[in-house]
Amino acid sequence: MQMAKKIMMKGNVAAAEAAIRGGAEFFAGYPITPSTETLETLSFRMPEEGRVFIQAENEIASINMVLGAAACGARAFTTSSGPGMALKQEGFSYAARMELPYVVMNVQRWGVGLGMLDSGQVDYLRDTRAGGNGDYRHIVYAPDSVQELVDDLYEAFDVSQKYRMGVLILSEGYLGQMMEAVELPPFKEIRRPDWGLDGTGEVGLKQLCPTYNMALAHELLPVRQERINRVCREMQRWESVETEDADYVLVAFGLPARVCVDAVRRLREEGCKVGLIRPKLVFPFPYDAFHRVNPNVRGFISVETNDLGQMVQDVALAAKRELPQRNVPVYCYTHSAGVPRVQDVVRYYRSVLDGAVKEVY
Amino acid sequence: MKVIREKPAVIQRPHNFCAGCSHGVFYRLIQECVEELGYSKRQIIAMGVGCNCNLTLSKIDTVDKFQCAHGRAAASATGIKRMRPDLLVMTYQGDGDCGVIGLGETLNAAYRNEKITVFTVNNLNFGMTGGQMSWTTLEGQKTATSVRGRDCAATGYPIHLPEIIAGQFRPAYAARCAVYDPKTVAQAKKYIRRALEAQINGEGYAIVELLGICPTNWGMSPVQAIEHLQKKALQEYPLGEFAGGEQAELAFLRQEAEK
Amino acid sequence: MKEIIFAGFGGQGVLTGGLLIAELAARTQRNAVWMPAYGPTMRGGKANCVVKFGQTPEERIGSPVMEEADVLVAMNVPALDYLEYCRKDCTIFVNAHTVPADQQLPEQAVVVRLDCAELAQKAENPKGESLVMVGAIVRRLGWFDEDFARSAITDYFTGKGKGKYAAANVRAFDLGCQEVK
Repeated sequence: MQMAKKIMMKGNVAAAEAAIRGGAEFFAGYPITPSTETLETLSFRMPEEGRVFIQAENEIASINMVLGAAACGARAFTTSSGPGMALKQEGFSYAARMELPYVVMNVQRWGVGLGMLDSGQVDYLRDTRAGGNGDYRHIVYAPDSVQELVDDLYEAFDVSQKYRMGVLILSEGYLGQMMEAVELPPFKEIRRPDWGLDGTGEVGLKQLCPTYNMALAHELLPVRQERINRVCREMQRWESVETEDADYVLVAFGLPARVCVDAVRRLREEGCKVGLIRPKLVFPFPYDAFHRVNPNVRGFISVETNDLGQMVQDVALAAKRELPQRNVPVYCYTHSAGVPRVQDVVRYYRSVLDGAVKEVY
Repeated sequence: MKVIREKPAVIQRPHNFCAGCSHGVFYRLIQECVEELGYSKRQIIAMGVGCNCNLTLSKIDTVDKFQCAHGRAAASATGIKRMRPDLLVMTYQGDGDCGVIGLGETLNAAYRNEKITVFTVNNLNFGMTGGQMSWTTLEGQKTATSVRGRDCAATGYPIHLPEIIAGQFRPAYAARCAVYDPKTVAQAKKYIRRALEAQINGEGYAIVELLGICPTNWGMSPVQAIEHLQKKALQEYPLGEFAGGEQAELAFLRQEAEK
Repeated sequence: MKEIIFAGFGGQGVLTGGLLIAELAARTQRNAVWMPAYGPTMRGGKANCVVKFGQTPEERIGSPVMEEADVLVAMNVPALDYLEYCRKDCTIFVNAHTVPADQQLPEQAVVVRLDCAELAQKAENPKGESLVMVGAIVRRLGWFDEDFARSAITDYFTGKGKGKYAAANVRAFDLGCQEVK
């Protein structure tokens, strides 16, 4: 069997190439570390492929440019990090109102305000909920390798158009900056949807946008609920490692999840019954994964690179929902910036066993 | 009786602006020009937030409109135009949307010489929210947030968008018009048409500001409001072309004469 | 899975050296990760990267950060700080040009000393210090075929539009090989 060629690519560069191959026709963005290489790559690759690239004056303008392009049915893309993502939130809310599809990649950087350039998973709660006004969600992919980042972006534009929802790729600083051997998929044929503004005033968005029309808004309620329910049903994706007999199950996404895979292996070698659930998407959260763990599991341990613990809330909800008869303790290892080492995770696990740390929920 | 002018075919229902408001006339003039240029079925309008939203609310026409976030119309119009360069892409905004909250987007689109046409209605205050001070509010003018009259030393002086853009960037066209009598209506239509032609001919960015009246928030009858506009507002905001149009022709003629 | 840390001053080619090892693994269809020092560190004079690769095409790389390296490449004395992230029986490739002969090193470690600066000069490639190290690693550890490595290095620099340096880089690589016999 002939194998596809593996090439070393930086996460951010591979993401740009995957978006192009996935059919991105339009990009607008503003440079911000650690996401900038995606914008830099697209600045020459998009015109090479006859597509649109705009270096916008700021983050707010770039998301609003994306909305304009998306309104015409284009596969539109933007990227950012830290405070730049904060500025884009208003635009996401407007897009949700008009059910506009688009893809945004957040290469998370650790910290609040200006933050730091360090890697981290600090935007989980905002990005899995609604960061702007009103109630809406993104479909949120959380890749753990450059290959998965490529695969997610390649699929994202289709998923976004299928559900008419924004798709968010929750990357992190280290994933954007590191290089990994990847295989790139072939170019997709670009297809424009049959809705969207075409200038005739006949098909357009106006049938879908309930501008200030509350009666129509109420009519849309079941439509919106059904869409979210469908997404929650159809987009359950995760990876489980030895959870069937596990006494303790680690839960982690992105790069910390890879560390946890090694931690599980090491602890298993020592005879500890530990497993791992790695959500591949964090919205919808993979509740189904929790349904299949050892029914006598003694605890879940959320492993995150932030300070206050964020995904632990979803882990607790999943434990309540899937193991309703038992009040399974949920712990949280918050590593702060960067990526934990295997020994950090192992040490935390032992402190759970010792009772040195208390459960959060 | 002979009908000498029909309303534009895309306009199908009456608008719901306040009595005397300038929006209705201005928008009709835009659609007359669009129709004459043959773009009625090839146009998209990026809508600001403010009184102009009434155009969408009252569903007066069948034109493709995109409801932008407050102040971001020039950015969204940029996205639309870049994806559909074959269409006529306009923004329709108030002075608050275009020149206050959206000043950044407006100036940056002009800076890039984006091939869009910006229409902005300057009625010297924030109409939709009930008549607060705008950057266009005249010195001494009373509004809901300048109840003793605007103190420009503390709040800034009236902003002149077309002049700023004409003076600092290289737009294809920049002008200010009004619609209070037949003469100004004819002039406004000429300016609107030139602004649209600048886009159609691929020349670049164009802006037309309409100096309008707001009888409701000014606390005047429409007739009083027009008098106020002629007596006071025109002193601050002169009508005319600041870039392109006759300005360009004059410059061209001057250049030729020097040769 | 193999783990190598490259560390030294900026300008010593530390990042490129690590990347070449990762390239060799990727070009033999194996999973490979290259993680540079990133964030505030990269703004200073210190540079480092960690490379991990599988020994079969199927083997996946877990943790992408420094854990327990098999090899430390120390281009200068501060680079030895990274011994903290190495196995006790690791192999240390020491740049004898900057690290004194009496430098204390862990007893269980295998130490390979070579003067990268001198060898790079000899190869008429003063910027090729890391290529010397790559040569030494390839010969000493036997993880990659040497001829394959030479052609991969040439291909890599040509692909980067730096084909004119390829010959000098292969020369530096060769001297690194010869130095460790």
